[in-house]
Amino acid sequence: MRKHVLAGGLAVAMAALATAPGQAQEPVTLTYLTSQGWSLDAHQALAEKFKQETGITIDTQIVPADQYASVLKAKLNSGEGPDIFGSQSGGTEFLNYNVEKNAVDLSGEAWAKLEDPLVAAQATVNGKLYGLTFWDSLGLVWVVNYSKPIFAKYGLTVPKTYEDLKGTCKTLLDNGIQPIFEPFSNGWHHVLWFAEVGPRYEQLQPGLAAELNANKATFAGNEAMRANLTQFKELYDLGCMGPNALSDSWADNTKMLGTGAAAMVVAPLAFPMAVKRDYPDFNPDDVGFFVMPLSDNQILNVNPAGPTMLIYKNSPHIAEAKKYFDFLTRPENIQFFLDNAPEALTMPFPNVKDKFSPAQKAFMEAYKDNRGTVYQTAVTYVVPQWMDMGKDITALVTEAMSPDDVLDSVDKRRSELAAAARDPAWK
Amino acid sequence: MSSSRYPVYFVLPAIALYIIFFIIPSISGIAYSFTDWSSYSDEINYVGWQNFQKIFSPSERYLTYIWNTLVFTGLTIVLKTVFGLGLALLLNEGVRRFVNLYRVLIYLPAILPTLVVALIFRSILNPATGLLNNVLRFVGLDALALRWLVDPHIAMLSVVAVDTWKGIGYIMVILLAGLQTIPRDYYEAAQIDGANAWSRFRYITLPLLMPAIMVVTVLNVLYGLRVFDIVYALTNGGPGYATEVISTEIFKAFSKGQYGLGTAVSSILFVILLVAGYFVIRLLERDRNKEEAS
Repeated sequence: MRKHVLAGGLAVAMAALATAPGQAQEPVTLTYLTSQGWSLDAHQALAEKFKQETGITIDTQIVPADQYASVLKAKLNSGEGPDIFGSQSGGTEFLNYNVEKNAVDLSGEAWAKLEDPLVAAQATVNGKLYGLTFWDSLGLVWVVNYSKPIFAKYGLTVPKTYEDLKGTCKTLLDNGIQPIFEPFSNGWHHVLWFAEVGPRYEQLQPGLAAELNANKATFAGNEAMRANLTQFKELYDLGCMGPNALSDSWADNTKMLGTGAAAMVVAPLAFPMAVKRDYPDFNPDDVGFFVMPLSDNQILNVNPAGPTMLIYKNSPHIAEAKKYFDFLTRPENIQFFLDNAPEALTMPFPNVKDKFSPAQKAFMEAYKDNRGTVYQTAVTYVVPQWMDMGKDITALVTEAMSPDDVLDSVDKRRSELAAAARDPAWK
Repeated sequence: MSSSRYPVYFVLPAIALYIIFFIIPSISGIAYSFTDWSSYSDEINYVGWQNFQKIFSPSERYLTYIWNTLVFTGLTIVLKTVFGLGLALLLNEGVRRFVNLYRVLIYLPAILPTLVVALIFRSILNPATGLLNNVLRFVGLDALALRWLVDPHIAMLSVVAVDTWKGIGYIMVILLAGLQTIPRDYYEAAQIDGANAWSRFRYITLPLLMPAIMVVTVLNVLYGLRVFDIVYALTNGGPGYATEVISTEIFKAFSKGQYGLGTAVSSILFVILLVAGYFVIRLLERDRNKEEAS
């Protein structure tokens, strides 16, 4: 009751302020809170274009990835959210930020009808669209990018099983080359090796994701998952990820492949172009691709979810934020983004000119009938604990946890999240 | 002076403010620790000791976090007090020139924002590119070029070292002020009696400095047990969970929307602080009384 009185009082005060006569229009600044890696240079350039056109400033506040969820949740929970905030799409991450309570329903926006349905579905909760995924979530598949010249020099072929990968690493190590660049310090990248291999777990146990979501199966005891973690640790122990993996940062990704300091990096398919941007002499055709072969995986991992922008429900600038989304989704601005973001190959909107190279097209074509959805999207309550899983896997490689401990830990956090969300499957 | 000059009800506004802003929030915080209050639901249910059972369950890591906090507190108390006292003694007696400059330089880290200090040290302590390891390698001490913040065996010690570096100036200033209140006559009399430097320190400086040492110990205990920012910014509790402390866990519980659990961990920290603070003061008071009696 007291809350209602207070809220009512505030609303009256705000309305009185808004309707006060003779007040000059203040220039509007929209605060946009996002995680490191989700705001590309092309996003910033578009924000600048938007400012020139409308006078509305987009104040992008970038938070390190390992602290992002905590910072955003603290802001949302204290009722002081930013005007616009970023979140991975996919039901459970949206649940983490309680978007039905905290975000504006955007189903009625003009661009909502144009967005790719597969992508829009990931930003939809109970039939309402809550976010704009201004990101290449269709062409952005995380695969092992490898240096063709280094592989050719040592007579290496594309590894198709874990044993192949281990052999490749050993050959490279024997020749003084760091096989894999794996940055642990950001807290999120090394989890990809586990969650992106989800289609393989599904292949070995069909229907596993559905069973996990219905609380009829657990991560603990799953042989393929245990094998994945055991193999990952073995690669770390062998030195395949270099001596400083725990302090390596994702910010150095292009440097590692661009300078030949490492032979392999798990990165999006568009990664070679990003390397070329930073190292103009680099030839993108020198990069080849293969899927992460842990647990002997040979299925392409697809993730229709991606970084998504949402409008905070209590923002005083909802209209301006919607205007910004309208601006971004104009065809010329979508194409501008695509042309200026080396990381993007296509966009989830119609009539864009994609940038797949012949090699990328061939790679995607090869896996056309052999693909599956990654587990952070297929399985509930995985994305909200992504950074915790990162800590677990770091604890695994530093001998503080065993593979079984990690899997138990994932199950435990899923149960907690499900219980907090009053998920009927967990009752 | 009559104690009844002012009527008792004059104190009521102050008591009311204290109750509203300190007592009620503290008690309601403890009350919430017995609920399942979370950001996912508006419903709040009484769950008894469930949150505390979870915290003290051997399958959870909370006991490790409590242990880490105690290790951090213990080490920082000893290091800051010993080095702070050493520097205070040097500046009080040993150094004659540029004393004020040294005081400022030693105090400087205390006024730097913790986040800035953490960012600088993250760079200095980077095992591959950091200044410290590069210097060590340059002088041929490759074996000492460790993985300071990412080796779980030494990460906590690195955090303690950085925190000591930052906090030492503050402690030094308090101890220096304490040293300056000791009359020089005592030292002169002791010297005439043939007391050497150690005896003068042991039987004059230390007993007369006890009030200042008590203050810094209480401050260090309270700071150490509540430590958050330096750990959060340096390692974020990692690698894995190696440097996780109570306050980082409280922050994580709150940011995950697990308010009930967060307040339960806070309540435990509150009890630890209360008990630790009480015993530290009692212990030091007793020592002082003993010194005075003798």
